Amino acid sequence: MTTRGSKLAAVLVVTLSAGCATSSYQRAGSSEDVAAALARTGAVGVADRPANAAGRPLAFLVLGGARGPRLAAYDLAESRVLWIQPAELKARVEVGADVVVYGVGDAVVARDIASGAERWRHAIAKDERLLGYTIDGKTAYLVVQTGGAHLHGGKASVRALDASTGGARWRHELPSGNAGAPAARGGLVAVPLQSQYVTLLDAQNGDQLAQVLSSEEAATFVRALPEGLFFGSSGVFRLSPATAAGSRRSAGYARATLPEFVRPVYWFDLYRPEQGDYSALDRNRILWRMMASGTSAGEARFRDDLAFVHNYRFFFGFDARNGTLKWAYNHPGTEAVASADVGDALAFVTADGELGALDARTGARTFKAKLPGEVVRGATFDAEGWAPRAGGAAGASAGLSETLSSIVWDPDRRFWDVKIFAIEELARQPGREVTGQLLKITEQEGLPPAVYQKAGEALVARKDASAADLLAGVLRAHADYADGKAAPAVEILARAAGAMKATTAAPALVAHLRRPETPPAALTQIARALAAIGATDALPALRDFITMYRADPIYDGDPTPLVAASEAMLALGGPAERQLLLYLAEEPHTVEPLRVHLRHALAQTASAEARAAAAAGE
Amino acid sequence: MKKAAPAEAKKAAPVLPAEKLAKVRELLLGDDDTASVEAAKALGQSGASNALEPLVDLLSVGAAPARAEAAVEALGALGDPRAIDVLELYAGHQMPEVRRRAVRALASIKDERVVPALLGALGDAAPDVRATAADALAARKETKAGPRLLALVKRNDAGAAPALGLLASPELVPQLAELQGTVDDNVVASALGEYIKRDDVSDSLRVDVVRTIGRLSGAAATTALVEYLGSVPAKDDRPSKKEAQKLVDDKGTPK
Repeated sequence: MTTRGSKLAAVLVVTLSAGCATSSYQRAGSSEDVAAALARTGAVGVADRPANAAGRPLAFLVLGGARGPRLAAYDLAESRVLWIQPAELKARVEVGADVVVYGVGDAVVARDIASGAERWRHAIAKDERLLGYTIDGKTAYLVVQTGGAHLHGGKASVRALDASTGGARWRHELPSGNAGAPAARGGLVAVPLQSQYVTLLDAQNGDQLAQVLSSEEAATFVRALPEGLFFGSSGVFRLSPATAAGSRRSAGYARATLPEFVRPVYWFDLYRPEQGDYSALDRNRILWRMMASGTSAGEARFRDDLAFVHNYRFFFGFDARNGTLKWAYNHPGTEAVASADVGDALAFVTADGELGALDARTGARTFKAKLPGEVVRGATFDAEGWAPRAGGAAGASAGLSETLSSIVWDPDRRFWDVKIFAIEELARQPGREVTGQLLKITEQEGLPPAVYQKAGEALVARKDASAADLLAGVLRAHADYADGKAAPAVEILARAAGAMKATTAAPALVAHLRRPETPPAALTQIARALAAIGATDALPALRDFITMYRADPIYDGDPTPLVAASEAMLALGGPAERQLLLYLAEEPHTVEPLRVHLRHALAQTASAEARAAAAAGE
Repeated sequence: MKKAAPAEAKKAAPVLPAEKLAKVRELLLGDDDTASVEAAKALGQSGASNALEPLVDLLSVGAAPARAEAAVEALGALGDPRAIDVLELYAGHQMPEVRRRAVRALASIKDERVVPALLGALGDAAPDVRATAADALAARKETKAGPRLLALVKRNDAGAAPALGLLASPELVPQLAELQGTVDDNVVASALGEYIKRDDVSDSLRVDVVRTIGRLSGAAATTALVEYLGSVPAKDDRPSKKEAQKLVDDKGTPK
């Protein structure tokens, strides 16, 4: 159980032991209340367009660098900057109909979307703590804690402000100071409480309409999207009567199947103030949208069954049902500091001011623009429904194998987990070129062992006989101190050669069998590969190897390479090899473990031969 | 004068009597390690044309490292080209000492066929093996080794430096001199010190090299100049000698 999960369990115990009769959460988990709230407000089914009144796809970019902290509004449809204003943001931009709001530490500031001019500023008093804010249409909603410590003690309230003027509309006192940032849409305001509840308020007057009890998973976020209201932490619940008690067994719960390297962040933890600002988390998280739900069951199903992963410079599209990789995108050079799934496209902006979009279904780059000379710290996109079409500026999209290769060979050495994943996926792609890429990885010096291992395992598994010549070519290299060359990864290459029955690799394997730097594990695999290949030409080398070391005490402890060589000789050879092995089995200088093995192996194979001979005689 | 036929020029190798050979062979392949090593030595020292076979037999069926080393050493003493195959095999042995002896044994065989193995041994991971190969190639005046020896010197391989000095062509000398600052000065001095002692080098080039050595730091530079002065006959008054003497005087005699 996670720390958050442990906290949740503790809270549950406290809540239950305190008794529910006087609890503020008495009706928490009531599906009737949630159904009534949803029916009353019609939160689902809002238009597929940006939140700003003009309906333009916009990006709000938090700029830094030599020109100081600023906020810029950028029109994605027209590829132009609308305005840039000095602004020292301490928290994210939220976008309403006419204004954007953001936190500056001691206040929430609203700026006019059209001009960037400051419209109003709502001060946070010294004994208050801004826990979060959001905006929906023409109303901004702030969650403010008064007194106490963060997430502990004091009292919290939701304050609704007129987004045009900053004037107060209503205030709702929450039952706990332990609250998170809100989400609002379609007449509902959702506020996470005590990591376990989501309080639903009427956006018109602040009346409490319902409370969700997230009984099986902490509710660290609430998120308002055109397709509905969602909450959760390690998965996503669609707000519906079916999820009022937070049952993961309901159809309203979804969690994507994703590979291990993915950090399972479905949305920001709204209880943590540092996640209220742009941070590294914006660069490494899951992007997702849900199908619009027309059923009463409130099914949660990822849109087009896709979930996306933004991992710094890389984006991946997965089949959320089974984790199958659908596409990959490698952004060259710089990291994407912010991204958003805006429906049919993934919008992103890089640290050096490049704006882009990817087709959500194919990963093809469909948009490219640039703010020259800018340093971007973070961004909020208000671009719902924006789906640029690929043009000349965006460039041609690469194939999946090509993109995966580019990730593997990316010079940025920070992303080994992604590279290992790319190797795994690359290995699933067909073709001799892919095998060539995997071989190239085994040749590269300075990679972490796990990368070699992954590439090697993939080579063994794919058994690509069409690339046997490529494998033989790599194996022909050997260590040379004068030339500064290291030996190839003989052990894994030998395994691959055996698996693909690469007869062309046999001479190179023999050469490595004779070389001093070949490690014991590789020698073992060479012998096994030669046997698998059926390389009878290798018998003299196998004989030389076993005789040269059969009396060497270094193999007294672990004779595995010698045993493998003897087995290869028995498999490939005839009476002459048996005679030699018999001699070695009896000769007292032969290391004892090898003698024991040889006696046993010779006896076994003799019986088999006798049986075969008898059968032939019948 | 009529050139002597090979058979006449070279003394015919002795032959061990069959009985003695059988006895030595028994000791060589027997249970007593010490006796086996001594038998190998005796075979090597015999210089007999029939001493090779038991040694090759021992290596062919395999032996513990001490026996293998002795047998390889003995084959080197015999210098018989018939041992090339087995010695090349043992030049790839996992134990560096066995390899070093096998390379030395190959070097003692006056046959061109051993040169590729000696050149290959310059790439060995063990410094002693490389140095043995380098010395052997220098002794054979195998100029083909020059580029590989230079590559080793570039990697600060002190064992390759003297051999490079002995084999370097005039074209290679500037490359060697340019290594000053990127390679240990002692390694460069060691190579250049051997170069200036060669008779086939013009004295004008030698003067340049002497000056290059004079600019190197470390004891090896002074030693190279002193050794050079010692190698020049007393009555020889060549300019490079004067230059070397001047540099030594400036540097001071090493203590």
